Amino acid sequence: MLEQLIDPAAPQVPVMVQGATGRAARQHIKLMLGHGTNIVAGISPKAAGEVQDGVPIFATCAEAVEGTGARVSLPMVPPMSVLPAAREALEAGVRLIVTVTEGMPVRDAMHLHALIREHGAEWTGASSPGLAVPGRCKLGFLPDACLALGPIALWSKSGTLSYETALRLKSRGLGQSAWIGVGGDAVKGTRFADLVPLFRDHTPTRAVVIVGEIGGTEEEDLAARLAQEPLDKPVYAILAGSAAPEGKTMGHAGAIVSGGKGTFESKAEALQSAGVHVFRAIPPLVDRVAQDFQKETA
Amino acid sequence: MEATILLLEHDAKMLLGARGLTVPEGVLAAADTMPEPTGDGPWVVKAQVPVGGRGKAGGVCVVQDRAGLQEAADAICALTIKGFPVRELRIEEAVPDATELYVGLVLDPATAEVVVMASAEGGVEIEAQAETAIHRRWARPDEASLTAALAEVAGALPPNAARAVTEAGARIVAAWLDLDATLIELNPLFLRADGSWIAGDVRMDVDEGALPRQPGLTALLDDRAAAYPEAIFKRDNGFDLVVVDPEGEIGLVTTGAGLSMQLIDEMTARGLKPYNFCDIRSGGMRGDPARLVENIRRVLEGPNLKCILVNIFAGITELGEFAGLLLKALDELGEVPVPLVVRLVGNGQDRADAILRASGRGLILERDLDRAISLCAAPEVADA
Repeated sequence: MLEQLIDPAAPQVPVMVQGATGRAARQHIKLMLGHGTNIVAGISPKAAGEVQDGVPIFATCAEAVEGTGARVSLPMVPPMSVLPAAREALEAGVRLIVTVTEGMPVRDAMHLHALIREHGAEWTGASSPGLAVPGRCKLGFLPDACLALGPIALWSKSGTLSYETALRLKSRGLGQSAWIGVGGDAVKGTRFADLVPLFRDHTPTRAVVIVGEIGGTEEEDLAARLAQEPLDKPVYAILAGSAAPEGKTMGHAGAIVSGGKGTFESKAEALQSAGVHVFRAIPPLVDRVAQDFQKETA
Repeated sequence: MEATILLLEHDAKMLLGARGLTVPEGVLAAADTMPEPTGDGPWVVKAQVPVGGRGKAGGVCVVQDRAGLQEAADAICALTIKGFPVRELRIEEAVPDATELYVGLVLDPATAEVVVMASAEGGVEIEAQAETAIHRRWARPDEASLTAALAEVAGALPPNAARAVTEAGARIVAAWLDLDATLIELNPLFLRADGSWIAGDVRMDVDEGALPRQPGLTALLDDRAAAYPEAIFKRDNGFDLVVVDPEGEIGLVTTGAGLSMQLIDEMTARGLKPYNFCDIRSGGMRGDPARLVENIRRVLEGPNLKCILVNIFAGITELGEFAGLLLKALDELGEVPVPLVVRLVGNGQDRADAILRASGRGLILERDLDRAISLCAAPEVADA
């Protein structure tokens, strides 16, 4: 389903939003609709039968899927409710779940991971800032100010750092072919390495920018995958946390260096040996990407 | 918002001891409060800091008699281990003449499963051991799957070690599930000649995201609030603030964990000294300046603070509203003795700048992040 979502030639995928009548959900449904997202249903047992910003509200996922053919669900519900909400959506037949809620318990994420596999479905999150194909669809929080159609696939753990990176690339005329926020949690449905096969033949993408950070082994696993299955497109990475002290959690669950593992150096070395251009600050990354594109077009 | 909390050894042993894991008798102490230790010695005096490698850093000491306890305590309390000054000690009965085993349950993010591990050769050098000395099986986070994996790794060990790992392992499997742990390691798990076992050291990490359904852990954090300042701060204030350099000169008021980390990197690379990490979650302030007040108040505690950088990239936040809240927070705080460089980008940025300019508070406004960082280094050159 992710593949269809990023394919400009495929039909727009129908999306439903669980917890559609909450304060943040209402605000973001408007923004997502404004960006062209095909939101066909909202779920809220209390508001069933109503229409909110043109979107019909259903009591259950099963009714929404039956009534609208929704294939993707975005649960905008509190942390403790993400797992039951995702389970309901999967049982109703949804093929892709995007969870943007921060603070989902780790064990719930482990259970959801197993459920996704059982259903043969896909999951982006936990704590995804969202994903988007500019001008076509957006799921989650990605700010419109950063979105512009272009040649760069952006894969990010962090929301804000990717916003900053995207805005500066955009100011140099480099927008996005697709933007996938995999999220900063340790346990997640889609990891950087999983995106490699999706983007190899993704023709709108001419370069990939990875927004990573210290902790875990996701960048190292990506490097191993790239070494085996090169993308045949330039790959750049910015890694946050090179100055972070060991043992201090800085916001993201994954972002903790422990016992010498998950360090900036370990990630940089692995990525560089797979041919990735690695940066520890945004300005040099943006300069380099812009220069390389200028050369290409010159 | 989600993160793990590394429990101090003493707290982990109290929790697991109450759940049937045999641990050495011990007491919590500090340099100036030395309770009577249990038993007749020898004892082990251990620094209580939330990082690994305490032994190698000199934070663990065996003492033969009562006379030596105070001296050992003073020496260890004088240490700072990986940035953590030692404030507390655990004094427990030493376990002589025992073999060191290892058993652990560790979250594996790559598979979203638990790795169940055991070795007949535990101890501080476990990470340097040959891969073949550590037996591993992957399990789902449920009792049947974890128990089956435990039986398999135990089965690869000699009989006495297998029995100890099976029995102690069953306790940590139950605790993992009951307490939303993300890591529990017994290293060493002591095995005595008579076949009995006792957990020499316990490391346990729990999931902060699961605290709302863990009243026991919540009570523990409340009882021991001084030992878990960051977790308590986050719970009580709804956002993260971590002092990364107590001598730091630039206080951060920022939203987003990744961008905040990156700011610290870029400032450090430019020779500047950031005081704190911060993720204020501006999208969740809901019209209340409380987080801003608390954030600014905390960074002003830095004795060398020279400047505050407010950096908000608004995905969710409306910046006009944020600007109003910032002014309210400054009103509430009264005199702020250092300049503020304010960088607001995103939804409503022009309105926000207008509101801040009209306030006459002399805030230094700058849209470009690199220039904003430079201004933090030399705020006196700005035309406010």
